[in-house]
Amino acid sequence: MKNILLTLIAVAGLANAHHGWAAFDSKSTVTFQSTVTEFRFLNPHSVVEFDVKDDHGQVQKWQGELTSASRLSAKGWTATTLEPGNEVTISGYRAQSGVRVLRITKILSPNGTEIKIDSGN
Amino acid sequence: MNSVYFLRGGGLFGCLMLVSLVTGQPNVTPAEEGIPVTDPLVIAKCSSCHPRDEREIMQRISWERTTPEDWQEVLKRMILANGVMLTPPEARAMVKYLSTKHGLAPEEAEPVRYAVERRIHDESRMSTENFRTACAKCHALARPLSWRRSREDWQELANMRAARYKVRPSAEVIDLLAKTASLRTPEWTAWNAQTHAPNLAGRWLVSAYVPGRGKYYGEMQADADGDDEFNTRVRLTSIRDGSGIIRTGRSVVYGGYAWRGRSKGSEAVSAAPDAPSSEGREVMWIAPDQSRAEGRWFWGQYQEFGFDVKLRRPSSDATLLAIDPLSLKAGSRANRIRLVGDNIPPQVRTADLDFGPGVSVRRIVSNSPSEVVAEVDVAPDVGLGMRNATYRRSLLPNAIAIYDRVDYVKVTPESAMAAFGNQTRMRGYQQFEAIGYQRGADGRAHTADDVELGPVDVTWSLEIFYAPEGSNTDFVGKLSSTGFFTPDAGNANNNYDVWVIATARSEKDKDGKPLVGKAYMVVTVPTYTFDGRQYVRELDRWVDDGPARSR
Repeated sequence: MKNILLTLIAVAGLANAHHGWAAFDSKSTVTFQSTVTEFRFLNPHSVVEFDVKDDHGQVQKWQGELTSASRLSAKGWTATTLEPGNEVTISGYRAQSGVRVLRITKILSPNGTEIKIDSGN
Repeated sequence: MNSVYFLRGGGLFGCLMLVSLVTGQPNVTPAEEGIPVTDPLVIAKCSSCHPRDEREIMQRISWERTTPEDWQEVLKRMILANGVMLTPPEARAMVKYLSTKHGLAPEEAEPVRYAVERRIHDESRMSTENFRTACAKCHALARPLSWRRSREDWQELANMRAARYKVRPSAEVIDLLAKTASLRTPEWTAWNAQTHAPNLAGRWLVSAYVPGRGKYYGEMQADADGDDEFNTRVRLTSIRDGSGIIRTGRSVVYGGYAWRGRSKGSEAVSAAPDAPSSEGREVMWIAPDQSRAEGRWFWGQYQEFGFDVKLRRPSSDATLLAIDPLSLKAGSRANRIRLVGDNIPPQVRTADLDFGPGVSVRRIVSNSPSEVVAEVDVAPDVGLGMRNATYRRSLLPNAIAIYDRVDYVKVTPESAMAAFGNQTRMRGYQQFEAIGYQRGADGRAHTADDVELGPVDVTWSLEIFYAPEGSNTDFVGKLSSTGFFTPDAGNANNNYDVWVIATARSEKDKDGKPLVGKAYMVVTVPTYTFDGRQYVRELDRWVDDGPARSR
């Protein structure tokens, strides 16, 4: 039975601490005016997919990683806190590898209100 | 770190209710009295460290109640840490006594069933931050709430945790636990006053679901072997492909309702790890009136495979067990619907079947004592949502969905874990399913009123997080055409975050693109702590299988 318990514990650990943030460049923050295309309210990390228009008006596809759904739940988040079509301002740290991925540190709704996030792992 | 045990069952709600309802209520529990310990074996094995007074109150043991699994854990701990020596029959007898006299009432056990049934369970919405910090950083919520203790015993546990793990729960948490999970409860008092002889022998109707394999139906014959033990024979038929399984097993029922057993199929053992004939553990909760039971029969290194089972007693009337398909489209005609049941009479008329307004039964295609196949039309302007399926007086509640489009595809489990293996450790697999949904009346996706439509035909693919599209994923594992993930055999010391992607073959979004669902899977190292002393590891089997007969 111990194996079962350990499995559960492992899954719990998975929710919040399965990887660090070293893959992201925390020395500089970038900010985008974004249109949410998908929000996946998941453990161990919730993920926002969003579109950003570049200087030439071309749409770039981005993904932003948030903390776990369980930690976000404690901040009042639900699966519909972000929905496709939402216009939001997203700030965060870019992936060191150069792929279009952010560790999200801040989200502002269209009226400038901050949507509180939990910055935990 | 929050505790997250991914969702499969409905136990969370009950659990949270347990925590939140009791919080803030006056403590109506009468002054606690310990539970006398009267079993000679428990006294003989435990009293050298747990003194027993003239009132038969035994230190610690008299102030605690819990599940059979937790009593088994206690015995293991006593064997390992304190040198207690037990034979298999002694271990079995002690677990039986403790689980009965120091067990939980059915109403207390029901909200924490998910733990003993080894279900993936979501505990995201825990009620108090203090409780989360004190208990759920390391444990499923069910772990503390599977226990009932006196306040002093909760304090004792907290002191032990503080000494051993440097985690000291606050006084608020101790108060919460003492109120939420007190030793004496009205439920326990009421249950204790009843006779607990489980009258479960005879025939049961079984409906079951195996992720990736779909629904099964059939029956179980339980033959009593003593007061609370049963030999079982289960016959199941797959609704999807008609294949049959016969499983035989043996079970013990603790406290009149807690079914614990082991069974296996009679077919030749398949090489497939998810083969439904695999030997598995049976855990079921028997309703207090003994008319129905629910639970899970599971197997696998990580208990990742299993039947979700529901049992009910047969009736002299016809009984419906299952329906196929699970959804019908508005405006569709001549749909074949199969209703599986028991005791269906030879004559079935179209008027005997009812699926609500807008769904008309054109004709009965065939019928037998165990099923009816009917042809139905669905009106174009039919009301959308879940419908009951009715055959005369037998009803399957919320059995079939009426829809006009698939709005999104959800991959389940949405959050998952698989484990690499090596020569000594078996891999942890994962079965995924792609389920179609239609938005409910609120018009929003991913809300409580969304309507589940059943499996969607999809193609499956893997994508490592943030790897370029089309990157090779073979070193992580393979995802079959049926959504079954097998980790790679030679990559035991790695960890990958992976999207499991289901792309619908037919259903499209508003832009005409295929609907896509994604699940988040972590494929990680095996759990390296399975190997305990064999003496202890096998204790579960001693208890399940009984004494020398199976040794």
